Amino acid sequence: MARKRGRGMAACWYGIARTATVDRAAAWAEIDDGGSAKIVTGVTEIGEGILTVLAQIAAHEIGVKPEHVVIGDNDTARAPEAAHAGASRQTYMIGNVVALASREAKKRLVDVMADMWDVEADSIRTGNGEIWAENTNHRITMGEAVACAKNRGVVPIGSATFGTDTTGIKDGKGGDGSGRPWQAYVFGCQVAEVEVDTVTGEVQVLAVWAAHDVGRAVNPQGVEGQIEGGIVQAIGQGLMEDYQLKDGHTSTSGFAKYILPTSLDVPRVNSIIIEDPDPIGPLGVKGIGEPAMVPTIPAVMNAIYDAVGVRVFDLPATPEKILMAMREKARRETMASQAAE
Amino acid sequence: MVDIRLNATINGRKVSRDAKPHLRLLDFLRDDLNLTGNKEGCGAGECGTCSVFVDGVLMKSCLMPVAKAQGATVDTIESLAKSGELSVLQKAFHKAGASQCGYCIPGMVMAATAALRANPFADREEIKERLGGNICRCTGYQKIFDAVELARDVQNGRVPATALLETDTADGDVIGKSVRRIDAPSKVSGRLKYAGDMIMPGMLHVQVLRSPHAHARIVSIDTSAALAMDGVESVITAADVPGKDGFGVFVHDQPIMARDKVRYVGEAIAAVAAEDALTAKRAVAAIKVVYEQLAPVFDPDAAMRPGAPVVHDYAPDNITKHIPIRVGDVEAGFAASDLVIEESYSTQAIEHAYLEPEAGLAYVDHDDVVTVVSPSQNITHHRHMLARIIDRPISKVRFIMSPVGGGFGGKEDMIYQGMLALLAMKTMRPVRLVYTREESIISTAKRHPSRTTLRMGLMRDGRIRALAMRMVCDGGAYGLSTEGVMRKAAILAAGPYAIPNVQIDTFGIYTNNTPSGAFRSFGALQTQFATESQLDIAAERLGLDPFEIRRINAMRDGDMTHTKQKLGSVSLMRALDAAEQASGWESGAPAVRGPVRGDLGHDDVRPSVTLGTRFASSGAQEAAE
Repeated sequence: MARKRGRGMAACWYGIARTATVDRAAAWAEIDDGGSAKIVTGVTEIGEGILTVLAQIAAHEIGVKPEHVVIGDNDTARAPEAAHAGASRQTYMIGNVVALASREAKKRLVDVMADMWDVEADSIRTGNGEIWAENTNHRITMGEAVACAKNRGVVPIGSATFGTDTTGIKDGKGGDGSGRPWQAYVFGCQVAEVEVDTVTGEVQVLAVWAAHDVGRAVNPQGVEGQIEGGIVQAIGQGLMEDYQLKDGHTSTSGFAKYILPTSLDVPRVNSIIIEDPDPIGPLGVKGIGEPAMVPTIPAVMNAIYDAVGVRVFDLPATPEKILMAMREKARRETMASQAAE
Repeated sequence: MVDIRLNATINGRKVSRDAKPHLRLLDFLRDDLNLTGNKEGCGAGECGTCSVFVDGVLMKSCLMPVAKAQGATVDTIESLAKSGELSVLQKAFHKAGASQCGYCIPGMVMAATAALRANPFADREEIKERLGGNICRCTGYQKIFDAVELARDVQNGRVPATALLETDTADGDVIGKSVRRIDAPSKVSGRLKYAGDMIMPGMLHVQVLRSPHAHARIVSIDTSAALAMDGVESVITAADVPGKDGFGVFVHDQPIMARDKVRYVGEAIAAVAAEDALTAKRAVAAIKVVYEQLAPVFDPDAAMRPGAPVVHDYAPDNITKHIPIRVGDVEAGFAASDLVIEESYSTQAIEHAYLEPEAGLAYVDHDDVVTVVSPSQNITHHRHMLARIIDRPISKVRFIMSPVGGGFGGKEDMIYQGMLALLAMKTMRPVRLVYTREESIISTAKRHPSRTTLRMGLMRDGRIRALAMRMVCDGGAYGLSTEGVMRKAAILAAGPYAIPNVQIDTFGIYTNNTPSGAFRSFGALQTQFATESQLDIAAERLGLDPFEIRRINAMRDGDMTHTKQKLGSVSLMRALDAAEQASGWESGAPAVRGPVRGDLGHDDVRPSVTLGTRFASSGAQEAAE
């Protein structure tokens, strides 16, 4: 058989939000005329789906539909600071702070309605664009409620800030690295199934099963998208991508030489979302952007070993390296059997 | 050269206008007609994001001279959603979550449209083949295949069109539902404006002069010939920086243009703002720089040796950052171990390869606020740094984050925004810079290449008694995120395992290579690759299943991390169980079981690929049904 299959696995852990420093984010929320929600915070989509996640969170907290949430642009002169777009922190830091700001805006509106209907504030519910008092016939649209509030001189707004209880680590001279770098950790595990062509040395990753704790999945499809994308980037690094330099000059300055995974290189990814809620933030969410990428490469390398008995220690595992390792293995086995004779 | 008169039908309208003969069809569409839906990702026909239909045939418009479109019918992404109504395929992309950053998506939608036109019954494998010329860096393609299959089934009547509609949230429970992405309609239709799509009245175009040397002293820069050229408004160098020059995520060691010396090939030296990009390019070529070569250092281990060339005076040992982690006594732990395994690992530099090359606009507004619009992943920090560099109060500096066409950490560095701000201040006009793919690759950060030695001591029952790791990373010419990458790499190096004796040292080193910086998984990828590979080596030697050896060592609720932090709930065991069960894993020691294992080839495994075998046959088969 020219093609041999094998399986491997690997686990991972990761910290969510900025490392070994205090992280923070802020947001403003307003329940707007017509009963839509307006969220302003320092964030723009980098592709991860954060705008949709924030719309869902604001909708959930305020009680409107996600399509009735408007999110302002990220602009240092027009929006409160939410710090940077990275470190797997968007859902954790900004999602949590948008929830807090939305709750405050909703409380302003609920207080007005409780007064108007002469009911306890905690009997008031919102959802799906409506606001009502339990066990009564009071039920109006959010748009009508906003008009009521404004007639009483109240604009239903909220703001919030969310910070982490974290510290630096002792990494100076003689330090032991101790500290509290994150308040939320995630864990994951992936299994890879590969096929190695023993004639060409080419490796195909046919499937990956990826189980990751995300705390709470706001948008499962978005979580899967992060897992699938992370795995494919890792396969790029594991098998083909290589930024090469000679005397400081690159020979890989375009995509003809710098090889990226295409549609024919990718495995079937089977995602398993685990929800172990974060006990600190108001939503229980954590993050997934980066951890999804961590176990893939060792899982694939372990699978290659399982298939053909060679292990690649120096990435990427190109066909040339696989073939060389297989030849070296065959040579050593021949020598060993000759020595035994 | 004289202009050509181009007559063509573009998105159903007759177009007759003069065009510069050197233009590619892509330039003509984007710059002359302002049809910016189709993007430029590589300029070399390799990524597919510029794909359009020419006389109904899918073409990469970056490879086609505009004159070749004479008399042709050209359809761009804008033609698919006339009057805002998305096509079935675009709706399917929306529904399936097939767009992330969205930059490749216009080209991907064009290619998918072509695929279903060529074979309305194409199966998943044929769809993959037909999308093979289009690169996506975000999605891993899976949801794109899902979208094309969904569109195919709706078009063929196998699935009702209601399958394209929004997820129902009428029960009020919005969290936990796969609500459609709110940014997707603008991405699948090409309506979303990335920085490189934006124009402002009176805008100037910027080009950058870059270093051809890895390490050289700049003796002189003569910009007079460039400045004298018609259409050139301004030429800037480090000498024009009014404040304290220097940016970086941790150490502010990088000037916005090379100051006194260059430290890597591709480093910016000067920038030109001119009426058009071609004039700016010619002006860049007219700048004369005299260099004095310095001895370079390219290998991080060599750079750590005494007497090595020094890249930055402030770091005479070339060490950007060393991070130590210490728990217990590793030597005693190894002495008490039944098995000690030592191996070396290395990982290479890789490129973020976001499909959107760097681009940005800058202008000084009516309140004298210096404003930069760019796909920056960290406008908060960039504003701080830029204020110091241009010597203005923070309130007079404004950053706007434009939609990011892929970041992955690569757009956390303020690599070009300083030049843009300075040129806007000099000219008091809007300025725009759009990198070519080559510029993006040679001048921006890579993932840190690493060399790691890992010693692991284990007991016969599989418990890890001691772990010692030393990793040396090439940080390249500037600090960027190196310090943070070394820190995260070290903290997470030993994996989620309770180990009584741990010694980790990570070193980020200056060299004259392309700088390394932030990249998704930020150092943890390099260190955990070594640890997770070595655990399998250990499992084979000890006759343990790979899940089992990890369970034996797994951190549990309330355990201490290697930085001596007490954990709350630890979900590792749940993740191990879930992956093992979902994959139907057959347990056993990892001793080359591939030939005999019985868990291969389940339904949730894709077929293996042999190039070109699935094109016509499957289509013919379907059509015959």
